[in-house]
Amino acid sequence: MGTKPASQTGPNALDRRLRLLIYDHILDTGRAPLVAQMARRLSRPLRQVQAALRRLCASHAFVLQENGELWRAAPFSAVPTGFTAEAGKRSWWGNCIWDALGILAALHQDGLVRASCGCCNLEMILHVRKGALQEKRGTIHFAVPARLWYDDVVFT
Amino acid sequence: MLLFRSEQHVDRWCRQWNRPRGGMLSLTQGWKLARLWYGDRLSPSWRGKTAEEAQALFTEIGLVGEFWQLGG
Repeated sequence: MGTKPASQTGPNALDRRLRLLIYDHILDTGRAPLVAQMARRLSRPLRQVQAALRRLCASHAFVLQENGELWRAAPFSAVPTGFTAEAGKRSWWGNCIWDALGILAALHQDGLVRASCGCCNLEMILHVRKGALQEKRGTIHFAVPARLWYDDVVFT
Repeated sequence: MLLFRSEQHVDRWCRQWNRPRGGMLSLTQGWKLARLWYGDRLSPSWRGKTAEEAQALFTEIGLVGEFWQLGG
């Protein structure tokens, strides 16, 4: 009976598998998997998956809700937002305009982002065609200085 | 990070929420930031950027100055 090297069985291997599982699920369904679903798919105890999620969150790319479920797997939001990215017949939520554009960038697909003006709430649709953003009118505003982004990532 | 129709709308939002104007990007800069930041995110071998790499990326896009300085 052989044994797998530590690189395939240790926490790092679990983290990599979990990370890819989460992204695959979001890409397929448009929704983030529940922690219990992750554990079932990985055939791992819930506590191991929860520990792996906490490690993934150290990079800020993943953020959990107070109930322990995913809030964000950057650039995807696990909860409904006012920033939607669409490619083909699928759509996903982003937590902000940077992330919504980031979804199309991560997919390397043309598509569109549906958002609205932060001031007057009028709809703004941004189109990406042949890898280029078509719109020129509009501006993106960061309210929080870069060094403070992760002090309160929900507000940022 | 919010999207606005114009800088005037940003200023109106800042007044409404009693906040100073922060950092502004053109849509072209925003798309470039999205591609550079997230272009490799779905790769199995993705790793987070170091602070130095992130700062260099901001500089490449023209995001320079105190507002865009990451913590040490």
